[in-house]
Amino acid sequence: MHDIRYNAVDDEILVPNPFSNAILTFRGGANGQEAPVRIIQGPNTELNGPDRLDIDVVHREIFVPGRGNVLVFPLDANGDVRPKRAVRGPDTQIAGSSIAVDPLNNMFAVTGRDRSILVFDRLANGNVKPLHVIRGPNTQIDRINQMAIYPAGKLLVVAMPGVQGAMEPPRVFVGMWSLDDDGDIAPKWTITGKQTGLKKPFAVALNPDHKELYVTDMRLNGVMTFAVPEIFQPVAPAPVPANRH
Amino acid sequence: MALERKGSRLSVLAVLAVTALVILRLAAAVPQEVRSSVAAAFQVRTRAGNIDKKPLRYIKDPNPAWSSIAVNADNNMVVMTDENLFRVVEYSRLDNTPPTARFTEPKRFIGGDQTRMEMLCGAYIDPKTLDVYVTNNDTQDWMPVFSKNAKGNVAPDRLLATPHRAWGITADETRQELYMTVQFPSAVIVYRKSAADNDAPLRTLEGDATELADPHGIALDVKNDLMIITNHGHRRFYGGAAVSTITETWEQWIGKTSGAGELNSLPRQYLPGLGKFEMPSINIYARSASGNTPPVRVIKGPKTQLNWPSHVAVDEGRGEIFVANDADDSILIFRTSDSGDVAPTRVIQGPKTRVKNPTGLSLDIKNGELWVANMGNFAATVFPITANGDVAPLRVIRGGPANQVALMIGNPGAVGYDSKRQQILVPN
Repeated sequence: MHDIRYNAVDDEILVPNPFSNAILTFRGGANGQEAPVRIIQGPNTELNGPDRLDIDVVHREIFVPGRGNVLVFPLDANGDVRPKRAVRGPDTQIAGSSIAVDPLNNMFAVTGRDRSILVFDRLANGNVKPLHVIRGPNTQIDRINQMAIYPAGKLLVVAMPGVQGAMEPPRVFVGMWSLDDDGDIAPKWTITGKQTGLKKPFAVALNPDHKELYVTDMRLNGVMTFAVPEIFQPVAPAPVPANRH
Repeated sequence: MALERKGSRLSVLAVLAVTALVILRLAAAVPQEVRSSVAAAFQVRTRAGNIDKKPLRYIKDPNPAWSSIAVNADNNMVVMTDENLFRVVEYSRLDNTPPTARFTEPKRFIGGDQTRMEMLCGAYIDPKTLDVYVTNNDTQDWMPVFSKNAKGNVAPDRLLATPHRAWGITADETRQELYMTVQFPSAVIVYRKSAADNDAPLRTLEGDATELADPHGIALDVKNDLMIITNHGHRRFYGGAAVSTITETWEQWIGKTSGAGELNSLPRQYLPGLGKFEMPSINIYARSASGNTPPVRVIKGPKTQLNWPSHVAVDEGRGEIFVANDADDSILIFRTSDSGDVAPTRVIQGPKTRVKNPTGLSLDIKNGELWVANMGNFAATVFPITANGDVAPLRVIRGGPANQVALMIGNPGAVGYDSKRQQILVPN
């Protein structure tokens, strides 16, 4: 599995299963060989090897990036259900291997073609252009794995494990951008270097309450906790349009 | 059932309350070997700054996670792959770790960034040259081969580009053919045994009729001309023979690469297909099966007790199939003639066996011994080939401390945070 998200509202855990084309939801306290409480699976779902996902517990939706698209399902969907929205088409530029959703600022970030991060309106649907495209040599992006968002800071946090196939690629880091960033722009913050010990960071998760960042490293088969209060800086949220739902 | 098993590998690690075993507080430092290897880190450009600080906490198992095992009785040679520390390790067949010892020192190990080994899953020993063949799984798309003299952080003597997610490996020495399973899209792929670099496979078994469903272990019954495959049960239906579309010829594809180090997968685009969770199975095919060919027999159903069946071996003389049954902490033995929903003829399981999350398995026919590589407790356990029930092993080779449970963190591709329980969620 290449993603896992905790739903604090319903006390549930969601994971994608790319081999069987499914999204699984477990109880938050699931343990051992326990069956999921819900499975999204079937021809109507349009799922094609779902590798990652994110959830929006405010608007109760699941976002699943695919091969050139983002599919959106209700958070409580079960069975062979159609996505309620699908962002896809040439204008989207979506490559779709990783995703993170910001329910506060009504945006989502997804990986795009040519080593880019695309930022869309949360309610985007169909063949639409992204709001922002973060792409270019200054970004220093080689490959993007799991992403997470700190909504209060409008901050996107991205695991960058370096060039695919390299044993110990030189350019590895956890990179952070504002969701308002656009163009060929260096990350706001990075975590990398001798002291961190990072070799191939595969995944990130945030704990704003304790101002901690969790990073898994494939090359170390380990889980690191970084105390990073400096990145948890709230910014004023954007006003919510009246027609949002 | 396959679905339930998936949860067994979901390691839920508590941040505030886990044992001292699972948390190494880095008050001193990140391990020296880690620090030295990242000393030449690149100079990142940022707008607000780079954070280069030690982690507050670090969860890491310093012990090996044995994922496969191969035995050569004529040379008293036992080779295991270590999926945690990315090493191939060789022991003597007669090693036996004393109960009070922390671990047994291996005769040699191969590991490091020059070896092209990362998420090691399978091993095969050439009976003549004693070369060791190794499969990588989700992170490296090649099969390195090491000579019997290879030691330390060395480049492989040979590399073969393989499909992404290759897992099991075996060979037909008579025909000089190399067999591998590919987890997804489910396939069995056969190469010349001497294949290297970009060499194309001789044949591939894939498609709806094959009933392959996340295949793992592979063994050959040369006497009966059969191929035995274990499946975890994650299946895709593609509507026929095709699971992919060829995007270019082998010649075109090979022309785009400049060396084995740049190889990745096959020149194919995979079709979406329809996913399904099925019961795990042992599929038995004609040895030379290729294309969209159905199995001649399938062992599958609740009586089988199959639960994440991993590496598999065949005793042709006894007519038996041995299965490392990972998620059930057991070794299952079936008859090669079995079919359908049948109970195993023998089950090696229980506290005396010290079998814990067995993934690797190998037979020493010469000495009548069964070897089990346990991912769950750093140990290789050796049994009589006729063992049954809750029996103590004849010998144990430990790579880590006794009576300690392994973390089994492998290829942690994601992380989550459970704010209610203040726990870190780490799928593998």
